[in-house]
Amino acid sequence: MLEPILGSISKERVLMYLYAREKGYAREIARTFNTGLTPIQKQLESLEVANIVYCEPQGRTLVYAFNPRYPFLKELKALLEKTLGYYPPEEQEALLMVRRRPRRQGKPL
Amino acid sequence: MIKLVAEMSLQELAAYVATHLKSRQLPVVLVGGSCVSIYSNNKYQTKDLDFVERYHNQRSLLRSALQDIGFIEQHRYFVHLDAHYFLEFPLGPLAVGDSPVNELNEVVTETGVVTLLTAQDCICDRLSAYYHWHDQQSLQQAIWVALAHPFDLAYVKSWSEREGMLAKFETFLDKLSSQQTK
Repeated sequence: MLEPILGSISKERVLMYLYAREKGYAREIARTFNTGLTPIQKQLESLEVANIVYCEPQGRTLVYAFNPRYPFLKELKALLEKTLGYYPPEEQEALLMVRRRPRRQGKPL
Repeated sequence: MIKLVAEMSLQELAAYVATHLKSRQLPVVLVGGSCVSIYSNNKYQTKDLDFVERYHNQRSLLRSALQDIGFIEQHRYFVHLDAHYFLEFPLGPLAVGDSPVNELNEVVTETGVVTLLTAQDCICDRLSAYYHWHDQQSLQQAIWVALAHPFDLAYVKSWSEREGMLAKFETFLDKLSSQQTK
């Protein structure tokens, strides 16, 4: 949906994912959109160079989130929020409806 | 005679680089930790000079202009064999938190002129890092600059309010006043 503006479907996916979930890592984003890992990694790197996102290592994984100091963050999030409303319901649900609360270890399903 | 790069202080090297880039129609503004160093009389020491291009991001022109004065790009940085500092050009826009920067300061040295954030925006810039990253070092840097330079407290307060960080602004005030009395 934002591809004509952003010039890349992978960039849209990365931004939408981080908007919906607040943070994420490349493999998880690629899996959510059922797409290749490399283009997602490339977009995460270019967004990090542009100071739009930042990353923090957690173990061996780089976890990305929006840079709270990015001066256009409020406006970017407003655009992403509006865009998400135009996504098909099942895609909205896939992005938003994820268990966030903790689950005790060893608990039977 | 022009001073050798190896002998330049942080301020002199910043001015040398900025003046050279300006002559190539690439105006830059010094931001970040090096401003703290300048405004705190070197209480804070850094090895990197962060410049933001004033209007456009023109990496290839930058690369070629810096090469002419001996700086070579390595990853995201530019290094010089003789310089004690390296250069970084984070992508703009020139902003402090959510607000554009409208007023700048200039420092004149024997090697040229460098445009940099005002002391007040330098305080806000460090506070922004403290507010959003919870970085205590940045809070201390803001205090060092605030102790060394007059600034408009009401402005910093209203800016902090716009950032949604009034509670942390109060922490800044408390620490500032406790260090003022020492």
